[in-house]
Amino acid sequence: MWASIAGRLFWRELKRGELWVIAFALFLAVGSVVSLSGITQSVKSALQQRSAQFTAADRVLGSSQPFDDAYFSVASELGVATARQMQFDSMLFAGEQMQLATIKAVNDSYPLRGELVLHRSASITSGSPGQLAPGEVWFEARLLDLLQVKPGDTVELGEARLVVAGVIVNEPDAPLSVFGGSPRVIMHLADVAATSIVQPGSRISYRYLFAGTASALDALTDALKPRLTVHQRWRNLDRESAIGSALERAERFLLLAGLLGIVLAACAAAVAASRYSQRHTQAVAIIKALGATTAKARLLYSSHLLLVVLFSLVLGLMGGQLAIFAAELGIGNYISDYRPEFSFRPLLLGTLTCIICALLFAARPLWQLAKTPAIEVLKQPAAVMNLDKWQMLFGAAAIWGLMWLFSGELLISVGLFLLCALFAAILLGFAAVMVKLARPVAAGQSSAGRLALANLRRRLWPNSFQLITFSLAIFLTLLLYFLRAELIGQWQQQIPEGAPNHFLVNVSAEQRAKVTAFTEANNLQPEPFYPVVRGRLLSINSEQLQQEATKEDRSEQRVGVGRELNLTWLAQIPANNKIIEGQWFNDATNAEVSVEQEIAERLQLTLGDKLDFSIGGQQVKATVTSIRQVDWNSLQPNFYMILSPDVLATFPATYITAFYLEQGSGNLINQLARQMPTVTVLSVDAIINQVNDIIAQVTIALSFILIIIALAAALVLVAQVQATLEQREQELAILRTLGAKYVFLRNALLLEFAFLGALAGLFATVLAELLLIVLQQRVFDMPFQFHFALWWMGPVIGVVSVSLLGWWQLRRLLQIPGAILIRRVIQS
Amino acid sequence: MRMNKTPELHIKAINLAKRVKVPEGSLTILHDISLTINRGETVAIVGASGSGKSTLLSLLAGLDTPSDGEIHMAGKPLHQMSEDERAGVRARDVGFVFQSFLLLPSLTALENVTLPAELSGDRKARERGLALLEQVGLTARADFYPSQLSGGEQQRVAIARAFITKPAILFADEPSANLDAVTGQMIEDLLFELNDSQGTTLVLVTHNAELAKRCQRQYQMRSGSFVPADTATAVAATEVAANVG
Repeated sequence: MWASIAGRLFWRELKRGELWVIAFALFLAVGSVVSLSGITQSVKSALQQRSAQFTAADRVLGSSQPFDDAYFSVASELGVATARQMQFDSMLFAGEQMQLATIKAVNDSYPLRGELVLHRSASITSGSPGQLAPGEVWFEARLLDLLQVKPGDTVELGEARLVVAGVIVNEPDAPLSVFGGSPRVIMHLADVAATSIVQPGSRISYRYLFAGTASALDALTDALKPRLTVHQRWRNLDRESAIGSALERAERFLLLAGLLGIVLAACAAAVAASRYSQRHTQAVAIIKALGATTAKARLLYSSHLLLVVLFSLVLGLMGGQLAIFAAELGIGNYISDYRPEFSFRPLLLGTLTCIICALLFAARPLWQLAKTPAIEVLKQPAAVMNLDKWQMLFGAAAIWGLMWLFSGELLISVGLFLLCALFAAILLGFAAVMVKLARPVAAGQSSAGRLALANLRRRLWPNSFQLITFSLAIFLTLLLYFLRAELIGQWQQQIPEGAPNHFLVNVSAEQRAKVTAFTEANNLQPEPFYPVVRGRLLSINSEQLQQEATKEDRSEQRVGVGRELNLTWLAQIPANNKIIEGQWFNDATNAEVSVEQEIAERLQLTLGDKLDFSIGGQQVKATVTSIRQVDWNSLQPNFYMILSPDVLATFPATYITAFYLEQGSGNLINQLARQMPTVTVLSVDAIINQVNDIIAQVTIALSFILIIIALAAALVLVAQVQATLEQREQELAILRTLGAKYVFLRNALLLEFAFLGALAGLFATVLAELLLIVLQQRVFDMPFQFHFALWWMGPVIGVVSVSLLGWWQLRRLLQIPGAILIRRVIQS
Repeated sequence: MRMNKTPELHIKAINLAKRVKVPEGSLTILHDISLTINRGETVAIVGASGSGKSTLLSLLAGLDTPSDGEIHMAGKPLHQMSEDERAGVRARDVGFVFQSFLLLPSLTALENVTLPAELSGDRKARERGLALLEQVGLTARADFYPSQLSGGEQQRVAIARAFITKPAILFADEPSANLDAVTGQMIEDLLFELNDSQGTTLVLVTHNAELAKRCQRQYQMRSGSFVPADTATAVAATEVAANVG
């Protein structure tokens, strides 16, 4: 029977508004959590799939020991596709010519992911497609020049003679470095035995390639785990985990940023629930006077919250999932063979968020409502709503709980919570001061202005919610606009006029003259040629360094660079470099090294430290004699480590140079690429385009969060206005009785919201300017520049948006004829 | 016609006191109130505003508990019961009519009438509700919401609601105070008529001396306690004059 009463009450209460605010707030919270979490998961999955294309497999097991056939049997049993790959460095001979090359020997099933493209010609732009076959080798294009051979010629590899079939156009798991290292060769695995290169002690890398479903691969990983030896390691797990952890961080960031909107929406729900509870106090007292117990009253009204929660949860989960599907469709446009993977995690996060918001923000007022004593029937219901301290405490606990849930880090959540509390306190304090300061100003204002300020002062505490929400929404709007429209433009303007915008790397010693001739012929002014030798920093003062950034516990070792460095040697210090400690090389035979300031700090290097490098298998020593400051904005070739000529001059090197090319001279670059196909051209414009792409993607994510926050801000305003509706009705009735005209009341109302909007806009402007200054100086390395446009845009956006929303909410109340309004107030 | 029989004690209050906390300390609203009400009797509690009569009604009806003293309703000690136990007593035995009607705005007239019966799980609530609405002359308004009814109509709905559970005792708090004289008279007539036909005990709180006179007995209150019988008439005359004046 109670269910029937509850249902009838619920159905009719839906028309009143508060339940819709709670429903929409919860829908917003669930929908945003599901979509933010789900979309980042989809991007993660897409990048992992893309990463698989770059590793030619889903999983790669690397080994320094020969293949174990049992591993492939286990994979076959689990339905996982396999391929074999061996890689080693060896000398290739062609008549009198010889060259060190990186040889990759693969079987027919290679690659499992991505595409191997071979051309039966000397050109990567033309030629018939080729296929891997025994007896043939495929060269990286520059190797044809280096060995002075052409397709059809024979080369010697170890004891085997193999025919050069053509060039490699695309190798899915080629190294990503633009400096490349040794030229690459692909051959069939069946020919390896004939070369007799594989001898005990040979440095050969064996790779087991696997591809299959995520569950089959996980099963394979588990099955192989007990068999793995110290010589074997999952190669792309590290790579995956790097991408994975970056995306997990991105997901956490997005969820925490989205949390702002969720918390605001939950605050709106809390206000609406309090208002709902306050409005039903007398109804509960009546029901209890008529004989209902507290439990029955609780059942009646809790069922309303339950229905709203279920409704919002289902719609929120569906809405979020739809957003994920839409995002997956978008990803499918970028990655052709993208396979969406369904995950329950976003749905679970959304459900948990809904439960936390409903229980800790909205449930208490309804729980307390049922405790209303029956004696309240004889009392006058209160017109003003108050949030009790426990509800605020529960709300604060919920905010912190959500922060913990989304960040997954206790300390971060506590820090963030305290930061938010501090931010809110500052904002509230500032608002209180502004309203107080406005009092003397208002003395000279119209009476509508005085009434507006009096209303603001009286509702300062509830208005503070609106102030915070609108400040955030306007802040994000300003940030997005200035980030997109201003900052990138300003950064581009910082690049000196005529600074090099094209870099040529991988220039061989023989090609230097050709490059010089090309630049002279086209009136280009190139930078000097800088020799480049790839080397690895092994130790500092004989202390071994960690060589890879892995999760393995090697904390006892000193941190290294984690990758190979591009080393150069120079007799003179380059332009735009400044010695800040020590001296430039005095004596060219002293084995010295000059280190860039930032990497010196990272590696904790000081003058006199002795560094050991491994270059081409040889060990080289040098002493730190200077620390340099480098102007990276100069866009000239810059180096972390510059060694004295005596150390490196004898090593074979490639060269790097740069020049400025006016926009629209793309033909010249094409000519250069045709003349010297082995030279890599890097364009700064392309890098700027990449930065723009990244900013565009960040903007999309922030826009999504902005929408959530803007909706939540509007919801808070609606809830707050609803909460003060009866009080405003009473005030209007009194003012109307005293003879106030419509225009006066409308002006007072608009001024009240306009002042609130102006304050929110001002806070937002201050915040945005501060953040832009940080971005300018820390990220874009630019001098401080004031954003004048911000200071009028912020307050104007605030005044217009808040006034319109407030007006929209209260317009009907103002339009009620005075007599009806007065009668309504007397009746209530 | 009611049969003459030995009066059965319905309500007994002994030395009731009610104190409430105020910023200055404690304020005594009622003190040393003792009374007895027999089953089927009509009793008026009369007094000026602030005399404590509504507080006394809330104690007698089990809406509130006394600070001191005892209340027994049909032999059951209300003063020793929990809130929920008293709710059970109210659901079974008590009906209310309030000065400001106190209908639920989101329920129709019929739903307001049937509400107490539905809360008690009565499956015939609708039929009984319709019958009562007919008795109070509001069949045509059964599906109207309170906001669509006049004050008199709302009070008639409230009276119908009070009788739906066939209560043994009816408490009425200034039932005609919010109505014009004619409507008020009509409501009073209806109340006594239904009370008479259902054999209910009626406890009426009013400052209206004329209305009080329609009851079999009257208790006069002043400053939280009963005025002795010999001074009651004089006090009543003064207070009525003060209320009118």
